Amino acid sequence: MLTRKLGVIELTKEKIKIEDIPLSLRKRYLGGRGLNVWYLYKYLKRGVDALSPDNILVIGAGFLTGTLAPSSSRFNVSAKSPETGFLGDSNCGGYFGAELRYSGFDTLILRGRAKKPSYIFVNDGEIELRDASGYWGMDTIEVQRAIKADLGDCEVVTCGVAGEKLVRFANIRTGMKNSGGRCGLGAVMGSKNVKAVVASGSIGIKLAAPDKMLEKVLELKEYLLNSKIIQLLGRLGTPLLYEYSNIIGAIRTKNSQLNAWSTSLNAEQFEKMAEKMVACSSCMVHCRHRNKLGGEGPEYTAVGLLGANLGIEKPEEVIELSNICNKLGLDISSTGTILAWAFELYEKGIIDKKITHEKLEFGNFELIKSMLYKISMRNGFGNILAESTNATKYFGSRSKDYLIAVKNLPQSDPHDVRYIKAFALGIATASRGADHLRSRPTLEIFFKLPHRVKERIYGRNISPEPTSFKGKEKAVFFSENIYAVIDSLGLCKFICHGFNSPHLLGYEHFKDLIYYSSGLRFTKRELVTVGKRVIDIERLINAREGITREDDTLPRRYFEEQMKLGVAKGHRIDRKEFELALTKYYKLRGWTENGTVPRKRAEELIKL
Amino acid sequence: MKYLYAYPERCTGCKECAIACSLKKFGECNPKKSAISIVRDEFERYEFPIVCLQCDEAMCMTICPQNAIYKEKNIIKINKDKCTRCRLCVAMCPYSAITVLGDEIIQCDLCDGEPTCVKFCPTNAIEYLEETAELAKRRKELVKKLSLK
Repeated sequence: MLTRKLGVIELTKEKIKIEDIPLSLRKRYLGGRGLNVWYLYKYLKRGVDALSPDNILVIGAGFLTGTLAPSSSRFNVSAKSPETGFLGDSNCGGYFGAELRYSGFDTLILRGRAKKPSYIFVNDGEIELRDASGYWGMDTIEVQRAIKADLGDCEVVTCGVAGEKLVRFANIRTGMKNSGGRCGLGAVMGSKNVKAVVASGSIGIKLAAPDKMLEKVLELKEYLLNSKIIQLLGRLGTPLLYEYSNIIGAIRTKNSQLNAWSTSLNAEQFEKMAEKMVACSSCMVHCRHRNKLGGEGPEYTAVGLLGANLGIEKPEEVIELSNICNKLGLDISSTGTILAWAFELYEKGIIDKKITHEKLEFGNFELIKSMLYKISMRNGFGNILAESTNATKYFGSRSKDYLIAVKNLPQSDPHDVRYIKAFALGIATASRGADHLRSRPTLEIFFKLPHRVKERIYGRNISPEPTSFKGKEKAVFFSENIYAVIDSLGLCKFICHGFNSPHLLGYEHFKDLIYYSSGLRFTKRELVTVGKRVIDIERLINAREGITREDDTLPRRYFEEQMKLGVAKGHRIDRKEFELALTKYYKLRGWTENGTVPRKRAEELIKL
Repeated sequence: MKYLYAYPERCTGCKECAIACSLKKFGECNPKKSAISIVRDEFERYEFPIVCLQCDEAMCMTICPQNAIYKEKNIIKINKDKCTRCRLCVAMCPYSAITVLGDEIIQCDLCDGEPTCVKFCPTNAIEYLEETAELAKRRKELVKKLSLK
């Protein structure tokens, strides 16, 4: 279980080192996101250009990835983000993470830049740097098919054409739709002249207590499959979130000018377009639609950001746009947010045809489709959009007022968070920018949940009202910690406590799964400590890149404009209340009032 | 007699059955060291569980030069002491139900009547059913169809 290695690939020098991962590191960071950010903190120098050879790209499977543990498919990809200039980190499902572990590795670090287009082949304990000139220029699907045809049974992560062209929100892709989507890490891969990392292996993961593990997972399987939310996810996938959010008026629509959209995008419409539901490795939930238009998906994010946010009403058009983004290797969250931003700027006359070369408008499917290709190839106006939030350089300072981003990262969550205050605080504090997967305190959107249930989970003195900031720093603190542990274990948040339901797997279950697989004993308190440690290390990485309290904020619109539709009508974020909540959040974290990790804590984290 | 029946249309490709099988049989999580294989290709859009059909006239038994493969209460088993790892059974099984990894010949023994794979499948894509006339027809037709290839 603990025999998986670290592979360091020096691309410039064409040298490969294989090392053990010290047990002390395992105990402190587990794997996946935790180990990734530790290595990033250790090896990344302050202030490097994210697209230069000085950036490093870390690919790491979770502690439990590839085991029998439910939904244990996940791996993390981390580097300095070319989109934000801060921490870049992204979590991905599919089959690659498990295969990486079967090939004998937990973590790969890519340094420098290959002299020619290359791919990395990881196979049963060995790593080779190989020529990829034949694969360069292929889209994410073509390249995976070609590599599998050439090498046989293997799993591939690739950067697509968008990554090759250094689009700042190019993602890392595996399978039909699994994406390490956020922070433009595909561009980092492309900047290193690496088209793909290929894993193939048959080294089994020996567990400490196989019989106990079999017994435990069987028990968890019964428990999970009896859960209503798991059953719904297995039928409708994430689009099931759309209808509920739309009713309360929390769907980002037309760049957040509106906050509700057409019922034509309700989950049932997408269910009709599904041929079959498929799963990631070790996953019992099977939340992915194999759609009738040749791809997989869409996810709720695509429904929101390529649908409502771009003024698209037809489900088949959302699916097609989502399929194209996946093929090209574009992060759907950033794509939908950046396009909507440009459309509104055009409507308002802040930018015009001199820069866009054509009329921009919401709801124009053909225009949006052509933009996706232009962005991924950096053609014409697409070359400016490919700069993501950095496009303010071309659009002028007024354009910033309409940008739905935090720490330069376009918001991923299709929720307009002005109504749900805990969500708002969460996307403001998330270590990688405006992102909900760091802390999404989902229970906040279920109004009717008894107060005592929330209290039991997040702690006391939390307002049951989603619209109140009172005590919400506790909900964010709790969620951030547990999600950091989940990401480090390589589990999917869908089966975990707090993300979809208060009843799913939490620290007590994680303890058992860790013990039966590795023999390592953790207490609940120790696991919480791992989560806090990951968050603190991430803050140190960001601090090195110059983050301050001012970066933990929200888009201007959320403070200054009221929501126009539905239950949420009239709501916005009060700056004073927000700042107060932020101060309380820092206090819970043990950070200073300016959001820095105290020196003593930093020193403690660094020494092993 | 009960047999394993696979329903590819219900299979999501998750491989939990194969990982559970390898953990039960070998104490490790390794879908390639499992007596059930999930053949999947997300690009060609299929997931296909391959289980041992416990053929009446099993090619593996017929071909084994050491007579190491035998039937016990209608379940095909391998006598590991007799087996020389020549792998003829692996090569000759018409639908790749017997596999090999390193020195290990991997063959399904139905977990002595409680197949682990069935317990772990979340969608009932593999079922362990008492043979009815209809199921017997299905199983035998499948054997015939695959054998002709």
